[in-house]
Amino acid sequence: MVQEAIISLLQIVIFPGFLFLILAAFFYEWVDRKFVARLQNRYGPLHTGPRGLLQPFADFLKLLSKEDIIPYAADKLLFSAVPIFLLSLPLTALFCIPIINSTALISFEGDLILVIFITTIIVISVFIGAWSSTNRFSTVGGMRACLQMLGYEIPMTIAMAGPAIVAKTLSISKIVQWQTTGLWFILTQPLGFIIVTICFLAELQKIPFDIPKAETEVVAGWLTEFSGKKLALLRLAEDLELVLAGSIMASLYLGGPAGFSFMPPFVWFIIKLTVCILILSNLRALFARFRIDQLMRGVWKYLTPLALLQIILVELIPW
Amino acid sequence: MGLIKWARTKSPWLLHFNSGGCAGCDIEVVAALNPKFDIERFGMLLKGSPRHSDILVLTGPITFQIKNRLKRIYNQMPEPKFVIAIGSCAISGGVYRGCYNVHEGADKVVPVDVYVPGCPPKPEAIIDGIIKVLKNYEKATP
Repeated sequence: MVQEAIISLLQIVIFPGFLFLILAAFFYEWVDRKFVARLQNRYGPLHTGPRGLLQPFADFLKLLSKEDIIPYAADKLLFSAVPIFLLSLPLTALFCIPIINSTALISFEGDLILVIFITTIIVISVFIGAWSSTNRFSTVGGMRACLQMLGYEIPMTIAMAGPAIVAKTLSISKIVQWQTTGLWFILTQPLGFIIVTICFLAELQKIPFDIPKAETEVVAGWLTEFSGKKLALLRLAEDLELVLAGSIMASLYLGGPAGFSFMPPFVWFIIKLTVCILILSNLRALFARFRIDQLMRGVWKYLTPLALLQIILVELIPW
Repeated sequence: MGLIKWARTKSPWLLHFNSGGCAGCDIEVVAALNPKFDIERFGMLLKGSPRHSDILVLTGPITFQIKNRLKRIYNQMPEPKFVIAIGSCAISGGVYRGCYNVHEGADKVVPVDVYVPGCPPKPEAIIDGIIKVLKNYEKATP
């Protein structure tokens, strides 16, 4: 009894809990930066640790040790609370993703809905942070983030319903368990995978859709007024969101930790997560920024009908 | 303390500010960012917001009109912060020295840590200047 309690505590705190997830966030920020740099024929971070591996950690420490400015006109309580919200939300969602075996730390019927809900709440927190900092650039950035959410949210949710309909469950762990016996959903629903990838690029505010923090238009968007510790937490939160997006893609469409038995399931999960994050990074290096109206038009005109078509195909074809 | 110093020297973020120059130095600063020179090797990133940045990269002569804006942007940066004056104009006024509307050097307005001479300086010189700021910081703090 005591032993079980200690094991579950260690799972929550160390592996695959907080410590592992935060280390993974730092590692995948490095992977993202290095991969994009190599695609642009650059070296990327090089002199911080072996091959620049410690670069995100150095950024994080530096920002923690910098002066923390709260603007005079800002809503001080909300302004200080938003980085903590934004850090805790992706961590909560990541606990619902199965990592070491096919059952997550937190798994119940309907945790897919919870994860989709958390991705929405993240954008709402972004908006609160932008609004509470009372900077005109922040406000414009927050508005853009919300407007963007009205676009990508609907096709993303519809596309994510595809695996849930086939597996007849709303739990991510059970969708993963279904894929250990059946086909991976990327083979039967490739359209859904593409839609979810595009929508996650918008969710993560990565380059084709980095409209809310477009540096050439609105300084740093909704991040403009955040400095020091708050910025450090926000950057860590963004990295965690990247890990969350990659692991949702890996769990719903690539079978999560399922794989051949010569390697442990955890290694399979890491491989799939890396592949998903490299897809996202590749698209980041490939495109230029869209305008907000182009994004909205594209999403409502093309992505939403395609997501509906995917659902119709799922209903027509039994597997 | 050693860990924080290490982190600060390994991840300097730049804010580029043109205070009324001819854009010659700006092109060299931008050239330092591109794949050939790639200052991201040293962990440097170009940031848009003064709240995020550590090093203010100044180019061009300081005109009377931009003086107050420059001071304001300098004050918006969180401590510890450094200033690099790039090009002859930012160092002393350059060819505009003695004009009715120009300060004789950026150090009349904000404290400058490192001067990078040239008209315009090469990207290598700019990178060297930034590294010198960090070396000085490393030596100055115990």
